[in-house]
Amino acid sequence: MNAMIARVLLGVLLTLPLASTAFAQSTGPAGDPVRGKAVFMAMNCYLCHGTFGQGGGRAGPKLAPHPIPANLIMRQLRHPALNMPPYTIVVLSDAQAADIIAYLQSIKPDKAVKDIPILNVR
Amino acid sequence: MAKSSGDGAVGRGGFLKGVALAGSAAVAAPVAAVAQTPPAAPPRSPSVPAVPASAGERGSAPPADDDLTQSTCVSDFMVDVMKSLGIEYVAAMPGSSFRGLHESIVNYAMVNAPSMELITCTHEEASVAMSHGYFKIEGKPMACMMHTAVGLQHGSMAIYNAWADRAAIFMITANQIDVAKRRSSVPWEHTAQDAAAMVRDFTKWDDAPASPEHFAESAVRAYQFAMTPPYEPVLLTLDSDLQEDPLPPERRPRIPKLVLNAPPQGDANVVAAAAKMLVAAEHPVLIADRCARTPAGVTNLVALAELLGAPILDAIGRMNVPWRHPLNQSSSQTAIIGAADLIVGLEMTDFWGTTQRFVSPRTEETRSRLQPGAKTISISSTQLYMKSNFQDFERYLDVDLPIAGDAEATLPSLIEAVRSLITPDRRRVFDARAAAFADAHLAALAASRQAAAVGWDDSPITVARLCAEVYAAVRNDDWSLVSGVDFQYRWPQQLWNAEKHYQYIGDAGAFGVGYCAPASLGAALANRKYGRLSVCIQPDGDLMVANGVLWTAAHHKIPLLYVMHNNRAYHQEIMALQAVANRRQRGVGRTLIGTTLTDPNINFAKLANAMGVYSEGPITDPNDLGPALARAVARVKRGEPALVDVVAQGR
Repeated sequence: MNAMIARVLLGVLLTLPLASTAFAQSTGPAGDPVRGKAVFMAMNCYLCHGTFGQGGGRAGPKLAPHPIPANLIMRQLRHPALNMPPYTIVVLSDAQAADIIAYLQSIKPDKAVKDIPILNVR
Repeated sequence: MAKSSGDGAVGRGGFLKGVALAGSAAVAAPVAAVAQTPPAAPPRSPSVPAVPASAGERGSAPPADDDLTQSTCVSDFMVDVMKSLGIEYVAAMPGSSFRGLHESIVNYAMVNAPSMELITCTHEEASVAMSHGYFKIEGKPMACMMHTAVGLQHGSMAIYNAWADRAAIFMITANQIDVAKRRSSVPWEHTAQDAAAMVRDFTKWDDAPASPEHFAESAVRAYQFAMTPPYEPVLLTLDSDLQEDPLPPERRPRIPKLVLNAPPQGDANVVAAAAKMLVAAEHPVLIADRCARTPAGVTNLVALAELLGAPILDAIGRMNVPWRHPLNQSSSQTAIIGAADLIVGLEMTDFWGTTQRFVSPRTEETRSRLQPGAKTISISSTQLYMKSNFQDFERYLDVDLPIAGDAEATLPSLIEAVRSLITPDRRRVFDARAAAFADAHLAALAASRQAAAVGWDDSPITVARLCAEVYAAVRNDDWSLVSGVDFQYRWPQQLWNAEKHYQYIGDAGAFGVGYCAPASLGAALANRKYGRLSVCIQPDGDLMVANGVLWTAAHHKIPLLYVMHNNRAYHQEIMALQAVANRRQRGVGRTLIGTTLTDPNINFAKLANAMGVYSEGPITDPNDLGPALARAVARVKRGEPALVDVVAQGR
């Protein structure tokens, strides 16, 4: 396969739920998804990533459903790549981070594309 | 030339005389007595010249031979020149320095065919931005007038947006050059010796014509310069007295004919070299920013891509390529650029930035995304004209093959050069490549739809749902999206099916806030005569800059659907402030101070309604959005503006 197309397809597949389900495993401390949503909102994560972690383009990538592994989320919080603010332990405790991760892992699509007619128009 | 009718009306000269007489009366006798009964020897300040008691100002005898009235004026001629250029609309907030031209437009231009309509604006920034949006739909300049020192400064940000967006505008400002004619302190405060200086860094050309002949020549020259790529705004500074001077028919100068330059094409030899590189490349990529401006531009860019089986990345400066074209791989930009062995940038704004990725947000360190050995070609008209002070030329990329020329105009010769080099073997390779990209495009579309479904029923309404609902409301009409998509996660680009060149026109150019609302209206004005349904996804912070544009929309009955992306914040700045706060380990808790538009929340529906615009909202339940949009679209299709206020997420 053309190397460029292989890269493109890999990139697209990683955004699809089936492809990323295998990564959705928690390796960090157990968190509480209800508290996690509150922290997610209080820390303004939703402003860039959306209330459901659906992402906001260049403002903030998609986080859910099917988030990346917990250890990678934690690494991104503490030592972010790209333009995300660093959330050190001074401003976000380990317990709060774990709650956020639990919230992201709890997010499920509330509707399937096939059940939303206006997402299926030409 | 007609003279005073003797009915007591006070002309320009008469008004001046009245002021002088009043001034003298303050020193001595009551002015009424002086005026009604010419005294034998009225007391007079030594500084006031003797003024004969003009019968024309008393209404009882023939007027003196002065200039109370006139039957010709230079500004009528100016209008004729502007009409000869095909200018249809002039946007303006009134200003006394151009009252002569203003009067000619309303009493001469608007009542004689071909009509030229004055569009009343409530801010010069809106006048310029409307002209900006109009150009991107109509492909020719609209005019705007600005009072000199104050109005032109108001308009300056919008001029800079147009400059950075390579948009042609025919701009007029006016000055009272002669100090002896400035009646009070205000004309002094509103006069600049060199008015154009304040915006010269971001206008292509300007002049201050001193005679009707000079105006005609400079107007045609300005238009010609503006309409030669790179398209840019031009400015004429008109003397107030020149506008109001009489111009007898025998002194009326000829109007020079306008012949536009053909857009400059890239050198044939260099284009041939580019074609050779494209045909030889295994992973060529086309990136288009402000490339296509006409149907031919879209058609030719697609033709080049299909000829090569090469992906197109749309940098969304214009409607470059149909958003559902199989070779449109814009959703996969990072992967595409990282795998490319040849990248062709077409009228790129930031070609360097497109090839880089940030490594560290703190140090701004970047690394190239390009593979070692990857080559770059640039085709851009900005190589032909640029200025230095404002830095919109972006960072320098050491391109392997720069082609100075208009990309759209160069495409036909590039296509022919490529076609002549393709062998049957390469044809098979290119066809296979194209088929694989078609599959990738469909996969990306499916992924976008899947992503759009997340949080579908949430409130605040997700931006994906907002955009999907708007598309559902307009997709069966001849729609034109006249706002940008960058602040909406490019959801329209992902979910909508734009095919025609007017269905998307890019964004502000310089990201100067306050562009969207008026520029969209200008674009809608241009779309009106074609019966298109104009739709704008309107950021809330942008509308707060100059929201009087809503009144302009209602007053002139310009059909446009404003859909508020009301995230109640200057969202871009929240992100920036959060980054600084957390770097300093102070937390993000207080970063909403100064960056949000809450307490009180702005009710844009009420605001619009107060301006005479049909409105719906604020809408917080996503299930209410579709019906509200349907009602608003119905109003727009009846020929009026409408606004739907949607409380939505940040991005």
